[in-house]
Amino acid sequence: MVAFTVDQMRGLMDHVTNVRNMSVIAHVDHGKSTLTDSLVQKAGIISAAKAGEARFMDTRKDEQERGITIKSTAISLFTEMSDEDVKDIKQKSEGNSFLINLIDSPGHVDFSSEVTAALRVTDGALVVVDTVEGVCVQTETVLRQALGERIKPVVCVNKVDRALLELQVSKEDLYQTFSRTVESINVIISTYADEVLGDVQVYPSQGTVAFGSGLHGWAFTIRQFANRYAKKFGVDKSKMMERLWGDSFFNPKTKKWTNKETDTDGKPLERAFNMFVLDPIFRLFAAIMNFKKDEIPVLLEKLEINLKADEKDLEGKALLKVVMRKFLPAADALLEMIVMHLPSPVTAQAYRAEQLYEGPADDANCIAIKKCDPTADLMLYVSKMVPTSDKGRFYAFGRVFAGTVKSGQKVRIQGPNYVPGRKEDLFVKAVQRVVMMMGSKTEPIDDCPAGNIIGLVGIDQFLLKTGTLTTSETAHNMKVMKFSVSPVVQVAVEVKNANDLPKLVEGLKRLSKSDPCVLTYMSESGEHIVAGTGELHLEICLSDLENDHAGVPLRISPPVVAYRETVEAESSQTALSKSPNKHNRIYLKAEPMEEEVSLAIENGKINPRDDFKARARVMADDYNWDVTDARKIWCFGPDGNGPNLVVDQTKAVQYLHEIKDSVVAAFQWATKEGPIFGEQMRSVRVNILDVTLHADAIHRGGGQIIPTMRRATYAGFLLAEPRIQEPVFLVEIQCPEQAVGGIYSVLNKKRGQVVSEEQRPGTPLFTVKAYLPVNESFGFTGELRQATGGQAFPQMVFDHWATISSDPLDPTTKAGEIVLAARKRHGMKEEVPGWQEYYDKL
Amino acid sequence: MSSDAVPLAVSTRQTEEEFSFQRYTGDRSRERAFYLGPSSEGPGQLERCIREYYSVDALAEWLKNVGTGYKDITLQFPNSLVLDSAIVSRQLEEAVSGQQKRRFWVLADTAYSSCCVDEVASEHVASDLVVHFGDACLNSIQRLPVVYSFGKPHLDLDVVMDKFLYTYTDKSAKICLMANSSYTFHLKSLYELLTAKGYTGLVYTDINSELVNDQVTVLDFAQSQEYNSHNKLLHTLENRHVFGSDTVEPINSDSSFQEQDYHLFHVTVPQDPHLLSLTTIFPHVSLYDVQNNEVREGPFPSLMKRYKYMQLARTSSCIGILVNTLSLRNVKETINKLTELIKLNGKKHYLFVVGKPNVAKLANFEPIDIWCILGCNQSGIIIDQINEFYKPIITPYELTLALKDEIEWTGKWVTDFQKVLGSIDEGIKEQEEEQLSGNGDDDAPEFDVVTGTYISTSRPLRELKRLNIEAPSGSEKSLTKTVAGGTVIKGTVSTSAAHLHSRTWTGLGSDFQNDEEFEEDGAVVEEGITGVARGYQFDRRDAERKNLEK
Ligand SMILES: Nc1nc2c(ncn2[C@@H]2O[C@H](COP(=O)(O)OP(=O)(O)O)[C@@H](O)[C@H]2O)c(=O)[nH]1
Ligand SMILES: [Mg+2]
Repeated sequence: MVAFTVDQMRGLMDHVTNVRNMSVIAHVDHGKSTLTDSLVQKAGIISAAKAGEARFMDTRKDEQERGITIKSTAISLFTEMSDEDVKDIKQKSEGNSFLINLIDSPGHVDFSSEVTAALRVTDGALVVVDTVEGVCVQTETVLRQALGERIKPVVCVNKVDRALLELQVSKEDLYQTFSRTVESINVIISTYADEVLGDVQVYPSQGTVAFGSGLHGWAFTIRQFANRYAKKFGVDKSKMMERLWGDSFFNPKTKKWTNKETDTDGKPLERAFNMFVLDPIFRLFAAIMNFKKDEIPVLLEKLEINLKADEKDLEGKALLKVVMRKFLPAADALLEMIVMHLPSPVTAQAYRAEQLYEGPADDANCIAIKKCDPTADLMLYVSKMVPTSDKGRFYAFGRVFAGTVKSGQKVRIQGPNYVPGRKEDLFVKAVQRVVMMMGSKTEPIDDCPAGNIIGLVGIDQFLLKTGTLTTSETAHNMKVMKFSVSPVVQVAVEVKNANDLPKLVEGLKRLSKSDPCVLTYMSESGEHIVAGTGELHLEICLSDLENDHAGVPLRISPPVVAYRETVEAESSQTALSKSPNKHNRIYLKAEPMEEEVSLAIENGKINPRDDFKARARVMADDYNWDVTDARKIWCFGPDGNGPNLVVDQTKAVQYLHEIKDSVVAAFQWATKEGPIFGEQMRSVRVNILDVTLHADAIHRGGGQIIPTMRRATYAGFLLAEPRIQEPVFLVEIQCPEQAVGGIYSVLNKKRGQVVSEEQRPGTPLFTVKAYLPVNESFGFTGELRQATGGQAFPQMVFDHWATISSDPLDPTTKAGEIVLAARKRHGMKEEVPGWQEYYDKL
Repeated sequence: MSSDAVPLAVSTRQTEEEFSFQRYTGDRSRERAFYLGPSSEGPGQLERCIREYYSVDALAEWLKNVGTGYKDITLQFPNSLVLDSAIVSRQLEEAVSGQQKRRFWVLADTAYSSCCVDEVASEHVASDLVVHFGDACLNSIQRLPVVYSFGKPHLDLDVVMDKFLYTYTDKSAKICLMANSSYTFHLKSLYELLTAKGYTGLVYTDINSELVNDQVTVLDFAQSQEYNSHNKLLHTLENRHVFGSDTVEPINSDSSFQEQDYHLFHVTVPQDPHLLSLTTIFPHVSLYDVQNNEVREGPFPSLMKRYKYMQLARTSSCIGILVNTLSLRNVKETINKLTELIKLNGKKHYLFVVGKPNVAKLANFEPIDIWCILGCNQSGIIIDQINEFYKPIITPYELTLALKDEIEWTGKWVTDFQKVLGSIDEGIKEQEEEQLSGNGDDDAPEFDVVTGTYISTSRPLRELKRLNIEAPSGSEKSLTKTVAGGTVIKGTVSTSAAHLHSRTWTGLGSDFQNDEEFEEDGAVVEEGITGVARGYQFDRRDAERKNLEK
């Protein structure tokens, strides 16, 4: 039974101040899906009994079987707030009805890209943290991503029942645990928050932190308790909220509030939080779990909890659940937090617009986004593709940032490579249908105004993964998302039966569409490659490919790692290459680029699409580049946006600009396939020192320059202490103390480097963090389980590229072995050609 | 003389820097001893050896008795044998001197592949007969009659035997003996010797006798066929016949070599395209390199890479058809059909004849996404094994596969123009049917499996539809306005114009636009040079002056 109608919800979409777009993000297993289900329950979609077990949000069969979320799922919820609550909302709103568009995202690190896609279309995030495990790698990763996208967080400290039932902590211990968790979150927030957002740290006393148990369906904020006590004590609610958290104590004798832990006689006082908030909860737990039949009714009455007749017969955990759910319904606390503290699209788009739009901040489309104007030209970002029941077809899932999208409307579909004024990656097509996404179901609607999350039918064949939809001919693209994870683990797939080839190719396409981060491409030697962020991600992708997208039997190679080629020093001499006709010469040197610059390029802080003067300023100010050099960056490579640069350092060369296009083309080519073993280059800066060109244009055309620039780049590269880089995971392992030894021995065997080892205060758990080369990570989870008797489960996330120090050109070294193996696999000559191959004598 | 226009000279002029003249050292005997054999080094032996090597006597006999009507005869030598051309032509002239007046012309520096008959060069001298010396592909040409003299190169069979025994320890293995056309005459002896050694699964190859007809003559052919009559003709593999004893399992088709797990032992190292083709037919290939008497077992050109290029071709927008032969039969027809198929697919093509193709020449044509080369299947197809070419090069057959709606990969490498024409026809039919039925979302972007991205430009000729530009019903102006980038020239899409538009360099002055200290005023105009790069006006003036000084 749905408690609200589609029309009601559609009506609310127009009152954009009453819309909240939010994602639920957390480390894996901290309880996002469970909490989300309790919200869905409140909205009336699934019956109360099932919340906590129903997994409404995990819509795929394997998700329900594995018990983890793989894809993010969106759902719209409808809620009414009391007048009193509405009064406390600090941003503009109208009326008491609110529409919440919620996206439950996967917590496993391998699926972070799903989180990125979810964050893009939302303005706020509910960060869920396990009371016992605290802030983990993935909590940090997703929170950092959220802040990077200018998403405002609120927090729910979850699984409090575990602390009470399993760990049997004292009230003060629990307070300390809460407080530490909040503090760790605030450390992350203050490190990564964009100043534009202002203070977005979370404070229990302001109601931006909730505590509870998703599984049992209860949660509370300080504000809720403050509401209860404000009347009783006759104090202002906001003052009460301040008193119910932190170093605030109540002296029951004097009935006075103080911030000292002891009274005037030096006797310890109880913390107000413990006394007023935790105490009733502890009592209920104690009474019910110890089966104190006589105490229970008294307590219930005092707390104004009314049980139905059949519920009165329950006991133990079952009773506890019912009681707690009535006492502190999780949905109330969460909805209050979401509605009151997360920004509406109107609020959020005002500060997000500039960051979302590739074009200038003062152009009409950017202004429309800023104002969240439903009457302006359409600006819609498609952040991912959601499979429909019709095989091979997808809903384009995204958000309207300006204008209104309508069924049947003709729109410009701009793919990621679209450049205003050009026609690549541009389609003009009609939107067939507009739908609201409701978990695994959809509801068609006529149109959808700015600020809302939406699904579109009939767009999928024009966009692979993401794109911009607009009705303005001058609109630039919305910025593409940058993922924090990298697809560094790859396998080759082939069909067992040659006739299935078309199905495999179609399957690869569908796989690419359905996952924001997976890459499918062909290797140098012509194999079909599927690349994912980790073993689990790949496993899911490949099983989807085999069983669903392609639906044919496949042969899958063992996983291999993607490498990069780089340099360690400046070229030991100037590299010179002559054109085939010998009339043109290019002199250059290669040198390593600073890691920070490479990273900034990779995560979009330094963007080839930016205005070159502004970019040069940033590079000079933030990365110590010489401004002249920064302005004379000719290109990024490969693919026009990679972390390798060509810098023009020539002086007064005639006709130089005429060959720029050829040089750029050659650099793309050279950086895409490095000379060592055909892997991409990374962190290589090429300085063109001098160029001599033939006086006649006909003798300095592309045919002369392109091959020559490539040769020169290779020569310069090979003269600059070439190295290879391998991807490295950050591994986080939580386990009991006795398992730590096992972890170390496995890490040692696998070239792992321990970064830290800490005990989580108040728990017997240890957290070990280490760097582990991705190449060594295959089978790591299994070995770790074995070495620790199944007590340690690692989370691995791509962290950085590490240069292997040995010479890759010497086949007896570690790097050389990798290179040799890859060259053999690709059918290349075993020996890496020396720089002399590409160098011409004067 | 016929009234045919004289064909264009298309060979490359090379600059001096690149091409250091090989001076005649006076002693080429060592070089010659390699193929003429050690006995040629003795004093006075050269004339005899050459006469024997090229079967000059047989050729003269043929001219006297059969080819009596031919007056202008071109003698085509590959570069490696050009040094013998003077001797051969003199010997021939002497041999036929008694008869009517004949003229012999030596053809060197063959424009395309030296294994092919250079009909075009022959026509430059209005020749009526070509004598082709050395290794030949025997591919049929347009019209001139040909006489082939493969030559009889020296080969030390004992060494070959040794290497063979070492390579194949299993005497019952199925092994096919093959060689280039010059060395083929050794195979029979080799077959005999090896059979005597106890190899039971041997078959050998000889020139396909069906290729010999009234237009095509092979010298000493009758003798060579004599031996074959004692054996069973098992199969025809392109320009070869496969023979073996009666006890050998029948070979019904090319794929039998795969099914029966054949080894190929090839004397001489075939050119890349031919080698690739052989590796698709034989599961195991060993090459006997006559230069150093070593056996090579790889790496060979890979078919997987061809597959990748085929996939690339599916989404490329502009195809460069590269004609690397002028004399092969069916080439013109193939070009015409191919362009029709390309157009039906909505792709753009340009036709190129660049003489001998090389990296620099092809890189000059930047808008080309992929090249489709038409050339001799023995040596006229470029197989780029080290990725030195800027854009990949595929064959017409691969292109037809790429232009099919459904992805298809047969694992075969078809280069025979006749067969290719068949599959092009199929492709055209498929496209026409589809266009009649009018289905297909052909304006949707295509998924490029090579890069894993969507490509919107793969069918430039259908671009107008994709961008939903209404027919130019109103003024001409409205069309040019909507087509951003102005890539429509005279009603058709021009990918090269589009490419020029995408360049940052848009002509003189465009490089100063971003300079702050850019002077608006500009400099005083000076008179530049006139003429063409080959010889400017001042070059001519200099030349004249020099002449006067003399
Ligand atoms: N004890 C307890 N377990 C919980 C709670 N919330 C979730 N869980 C359990 O934690 C596991 C992971 O929950 P899930 O919602 O799938 O986490 P997600 O990965 O963040 O979506 C499941 O087994 C839940 O039953 C809670 O409040 N208390
Ligand atoms: Mg989940």
